[in-house]
Amino acid sequence: DLEVEPAAEPWPENATLYQPLKEDQILLSDHASSLAVQAYLRMCGLPVQVLCRVNSEFMSPSGKIPFIHVGNQVVSELGPIVQFTKAKGHSLSDGLDDVQRAEMKAYMELVNNMLLTAELYIQWCDDATAAEISRPRYSSPYSWPLSKILAYQKQWEVRRKMNAIGWGGKTLQQVYEDVSQCCQALSQRLGMQPYFFNKQPTELDALVFGHLFTILTTRLTSSELAERVKSYSNLLSFCRRIEQTYFEDKSS
Amino acid sequence: MAAPDELFCWEGDWGLPSVSTDCLVVLAYAQFAGAPLKLRKICNPWRSPSGSLPALKTNQKETLSRPADIIIHLRKQKFNADYDLSAKEGADSLAFISLMEEKLTPALIYTFWVEPKNYVDVTRRWYAEHMTFPLNFFLPGRMQSRQLEKLRLLRGDESLEAGEELEKELYCDAAECMNLLSQRLGSQKFFFGDSPSSLDAYVFGHLAPILKCKLPNGKLQQHLKSLDNLTNFCSDILLLYFPRDGRESSGPKAPPQPDGGDFDNVPNKRRKQLLSALVALGAMLSYALLTGMVSILHVQQGALEEPPDLEPIESHQHEEQGGS
Repeated sequence: DLEVEPAAEPWPENATLYQPLKEDQILLSDHASSLAVQAYLRMCGLPVQVLCRVNSEFMSPSGKIPFIHVGNQVVSELGPIVQFTKAKGHSLSDGLDDVQRAEMKAYMELVNNMLLTAELYIQWCDDATAAEISRPRYSSPYSWPLSKILAYQKQWEVRRKMNAIGWGGKTLQQVYEDVSQCCQALSQRLGMQPYFFNKQPTELDALVFGHLFTILTTRLTSSELAERVKSYSNLLSFCRRIEQTYFEDKSS
Repeated sequence: MAAPDELFCWEGDWGLPSVSTDCLVVLAYAQFAGAPLKLRKICNPWRSPSGSLPALKTNQKETLSRPADIIIHLRKQKFNADYDLSAKEGADSLAFISLMEEKLTPALIYTFWVEPKNYVDVTRRWYAEHMTFPLNFFLPGRMQSRQLEKLRLLRGDESLEAGEELEKELYCDAAECMNLLSQRLGSQKFFFGDSPSSLDAYVFGHLAPILKCKLPNGKLQQHLKSLDNLTNFCSDILLLYFPRDGRESSGPKAPPQPDGGDFDNVPNKRRKQLLSALVALGAMLSYALLTGMVSILHVQQGALEEPPDLEPIESHQHEEQGGS
């Protein structure tokens, strides 16, 4: 999907980021991924306009949200977008040494492996949440019967994935425990520092912010997920700090 | 303590205590933590209490399947290899285990189960040879389709097929993961000091099969061998904790028959081919005889030479003119 151009073209003014509709359609996991990319681009100082489109998921080259349209190239997901901006000469992790870079990549995978998977589980494998929130929101732009078909298809796809990676047999409580464990690891690593690698934010900070902020500000059927995150005060102040520094022009 | 828990796992080969990554993780952790387990090395997943391997059967008749669950259970029983880890080291463990599951596991699945040459020459052959009749006929194939489906779900692409591009992507990710592990290990003996922990068990479980199993398409092994500290890490663990299994390794993959060649290494195969050809011929002949397409008349006209697919009516008419 990614074409890496050796010549560093300047970042155009009309770069756009696509995501599903914010008010009615987007789900927790997609919003977290989208916010992570937006935070990363703001940290790099790269302007991007956020466009909400109903069919973003289908427009994306990999099928995942979000994706950016820069010049004549389309790149989706945080990993490839980080590489893409690096090819254009913008990088947040250049100042890290090898061991730190290894840790950064490992912690990013921790967030993908545990937090993102837990979000998907809660959205689609918990019957209450799936029926009240996920299916209605996912299918809101479409009319019957397409809405029903798409919603159940997505649910079935996610449940199959959960079974394949061994999460199918987990209970909701176990998933909340995993989220706590992940937050504890992140909290440990962050410690008292402003960012994960002391003074400068990196893509890891963007990713963690995207997920934690979304969990804290999204209403689900139960507030247990947000409560679990809230019990780590340094993570809360971390989110607030990034919000104030990079998103202050956003209203509230 | 009551009677030890029973662990069912896949058999070992190529100098390893087990051929499966998950089983190796559990075995290594049990050795590191000094947990006494009754080992049942089998080659028939249907005989395991959970239907898959590895499986731990505890004293309370509970069955655990996921390596993470088994390790948690052992920890609860005070067999804790992570006792000396600081909180930060515990967090790092979790992060690096996630890194391996996201970046290394897909490549492992691909190299053992999806890559055509590897699967046919090594994996399927190994499982077919080690399983009992009649499982050896269908179970390897079924395991392969499950692994392919798992890879498809992990990558989020339903139409994934074996191919150059996919291989390059997966191996690139795996190589990067191995480089990162190597950088983190540095020149230490184990990842966190002098005694091994659960992270060491996971790294060993993922890397040892790559290191020890000789595959026709061995790009992962080449890359791993270029990382000395990881190679020594695996060899040290094998030497220290699995000395008996290490001694069984007789160099590179040694098929039981000394013949070279991919297909002729079993003399029985020739005999089976001949036998099946004879049976087919006999069946066709008896069918022809029974339906009267060919009749054994003691006439000198070579009626027997007529191939059975000639029209029966025509063959009787042309009988006097001789066969074709």
